[in-house]
Amino acid sequence: MKIKVTSVMVDNQDKALKFYTEILGFVKKTEIPLGEHKWLTVVSPEAPDEVELLLEPMGIEAAKVFQKALYSAGIPLTAFNVDDIQKEYERLEKLGVKFSMKPTKMGPATLAVFDDTCGNNIQIVQV
Amino acid sequence: MTRKLRLGLKDIYNRFLTNKKFEMTFYHQQILKFKEELYSNEDLYQRVVEAKSFIDKNYFKDIDLNDIARAACFSKYHFLRLFKNTYDKTPNQYLRELRIEKAKQLLHSGIPVIDICNTVGFDSPSSFTGLFKKMTGSTPTAYQAKLKKSNLIPTPIPLKYMPYL
Repeated sequence: MKIKVTSVMVDNQDKALKFYTEILGFVKKTEIPLGEHKWLTVVSPEAPDEVELLLEPMGIEAAKVFQKALYSAGIPLTAFNVDDIQKEYERLEKLGVKFSMKPTKMGPATLAVFDDTCGNNIQIVQV
Repeated sequence: MTRKLRLGLKDIYNRFLTNKKFEMTFYHQQILKFKEELYSNEDLYQRVVEAKSFIDKNYFKDIDLNDIARAACFSKYHFLRLFKNTYDKTPNQYLRELRIEKAKQLLHSGIPVIDICNTVGFDSPSSFTGLFKKMTGSTPTAYQAKLKKSNLIPTPIPLKYMPYL
């Protein structure tokens, strides 16, 4: 068994694709139309054949409630690893990304949290 | 006038305070709380982690406690205690376990025992064989034969960056 796909819930798939590719720098891997929504995944250009991130629509009401609760508590939905968190933080901030937590040392790791504009907090980590 | 100014300043200060508090999310507050509890001495802690990553990067070389302590700018005895408190084992125990783990993986790929001994940093085949037997219960040769016969794949241990707490 392998972990191949993980997901973030997004309020709008087209907007999410734009943010996750143009701002974060991921690349689109799969797009399959499925009625109102689509199976839409992005990957890191550094590991294009490893784990895919599914930009998942929120078809049920409960998902929206859950997302909102996490968001207002500032809790990240997921985390991505970066080599140089300070550099990444500066790059993203210049592009207008809003951080609720600036790079913060936590023992061996440094963490920062930003708003993905699709309803989520996302954490970046340097270890 | 002065009173008005003072009240105005107080108002701005209060707004600044509430704003500050409002800006920090619940998650951010939790992070700071745990950081204070777990990693209050940031610099010291960072150096212990550096020592461990020095071992991870150099386990195959001829390194000893002196080299490891020096890599993280510690005196030997102070360092020994800190490392043990953090990882629940001494630097030497950690180094030996890492070498044996790497050896197990190499044995699986069919590399001769005599070559593995040097590759993972032991200075003599006898010290390698002795320690391997002590830690796994069988000699490297027997271990390799057993692997081959059973077709078992040793589970690789992911490199840990979070220490034992």
